[in-house]
Amino acid sequence: MSNAQQESTDPSTGREAEQPSTERDIGQPRTERTTERPGTEGDTQTTTAGESTEQLRDEWTDYHFDGPAKLTVEDLSVWYGDEPALRNVSMEIPEHSVTALVGPSGCGKSTFLRSLNRMNDRIKAARIEGSVELDDEELYDPNADVVELRKRVGMVFQSPNPFAKSIRENVSYGPRKHGDVDTGLLARLLGRDDSDEEAALVERSLQRAALWEEVHDRLEDSALGLSGGQQQRLCIARCLAVDPEVILMDEPASALDPIATSKIEDLVEELAQDYTVVIVTHNMQQAARISDQTAVFLTGGRLAEYDETDTIFENPESQRVEDYITGKFG
Amino acid sequence: MPRREYQSQLEDLRADVVAMSDLVLSRYADALETMATGDLDLARRVVDGDREVNRRYLALEGDCIDLFALQQPVATDLRFVASSFKILTDLERVGDLAANLAEYEGHTGADRYGAVDVLDVADFAGEMVRDAMRAYETGNPTACREVAARDGTLDDRCARAAETVFTDLLGAGAGIADGPSDTSGDADGTAKRDTADGTADRAANDTADVDVDAVTDDATRLLLVLRDVERVGDHAVNVCARTLYATENDTELIY
Repeated sequence: MSNAQQESTDPSTGREAEQPSTERDIGQPRTERTTERPGTEGDTQTTTAGESTEQLRDEWTDYHFDGPAKLTVEDLSVWYGDEPALRNVSMEIPEHSVTALVGPSGCGKSTFLRSLNRMNDRIKAARIEGSVELDDEELYDPNADVVELRKRVGMVFQSPNPFAKSIRENVSYGPRKHGDVDTGLLARLLGRDDSDEEAALVERSLQRAALWEEVHDRLEDSALGLSGGQQQRLCIARCLAVDPEVILMDEPASALDPIATSKIEDLVEELAQDYTVVIVTHNMQQAARISDQTAVFLTGGRLAEYDETDTIFENPESQRVEDYITGKFG
Repeated sequence: MPRREYQSQLEDLRADVVAMSDLVLSRYADALETMATGDLDLARRVVDGDREVNRRYLALEGDCIDLFALQQPVATDLRFVASSFKILTDLERVGDLAANLAEYEGHTGADRYGAVDVLDVADFAGEMVRDAMRAYETGNPTACREVAARDGTLDDRCARAAETVFTDLLGAGAGIADGPSDTSGDADGTAKRDTADGTADRAANDTADVDVDAVTDDATRLLLVLRDVERVGDHAVNVCARTLYATENDTELIY
């Protein structure tokens, strides 16, 4: 490659210079990192949000890690009616770590998260193909026990949704439903009252959710009297009370102020020592701060890139991923 | 494109860093001119002008900090701002070296060592900085590697020039001692001391026309000039290393 040629393809932005020079050496057609604007051609991958066309590569999502995979997703596609929301996504999620899912609105990241505990089952029009394994068990096996699955895979939603009950009852609700604690009349009559056990479970869960100090003297108060950040930590405590293995979080801090957000972020990092956390966030810096690995979904329900978080934020492979995380579209 | 303000701040930073390199390189060219002509006014302007270089350096460093804090750049943008931050330091140092060279006010000792074309070597180093900054401006990784590879040549030229000075010095020392040149060439300190020691005893004899202080002074100055010039080249390599990291995430030249 001559210098002159090189310089002629280097605009002052330096953008093109980033492409591996070997590709130019062998004169391949430039299928990636083109900068066509929307409407300049008929490619369906060009979006009105300013996303450029780019051929995704399998190796960009081929993330290797030490240790076991907690969740193994293979070739997962989800349709809502005729609309594909997620297309052929494969990824392995390592145990005891934080995996961030990021991407523009409508990219399928929430759909992906919801398919990890079969929340999409509740949407009639949703159709799912592919496989999700928790450890080695197929989630979508027709004989799978969905209730048991959701006990193992807990979920925390965007806006805090505590029950209109006391703080204590919010935490003990799950274990009671699953029959793990029993404080009912019959149990008391039969001498199998688990009240002490329940109290210990409530305290432990609230401790783990970093809420105990703030609420221990008002456990019988309504959960709805708590602040937004406290409500969200209560929801996390409620999730922890059933002793899950995986915690799914869909924008858990987007409705919270910076202090409450920091508390949730600290909590997420701490929880990752014992749980596998998968978190959807629109906040790039939050993903950068708290996750071990980041998966970037792009318009059309495709997983574009999946790698260690520092690699994604310092040197992503995909130009579209770079454009997204630097805020050039989305 | 969204974040238009941010995008223009990045482009401004690039243009400002290049402008700072233009300033530093013009100071360096002035310094070389003072070495050639002994122009005292110009030398004074170069030395005084270092304050302006430092002021710009601090202002641009502040711009980088603002970008980090307020825009939180990532990926290529992050590497670009981080590299610019480092490159600014190198440019400021080149400015310091230009001021150093100007402080000699033309008395670099080069006159005594005709075989050492110190201005030519210094030009070579200045060109390295100029081309490194062009690579930064255009984001050209090939140019980064090419400029960095020239550093070997610069080092060789500086080493050869230093050898010439030592050899001459030893010759002068031998002349003063009026004996054979038997001192080994690798111990410059020894050679200089021998020369100085010889002064009192033997200067009165047949080497009365050699001003020993002037000889050692010239040699010292010239060696310091060569050291500064070599450092200018090292800063050019640093610029290339950071630019290569910014453009290709390649740390090959950094480590």
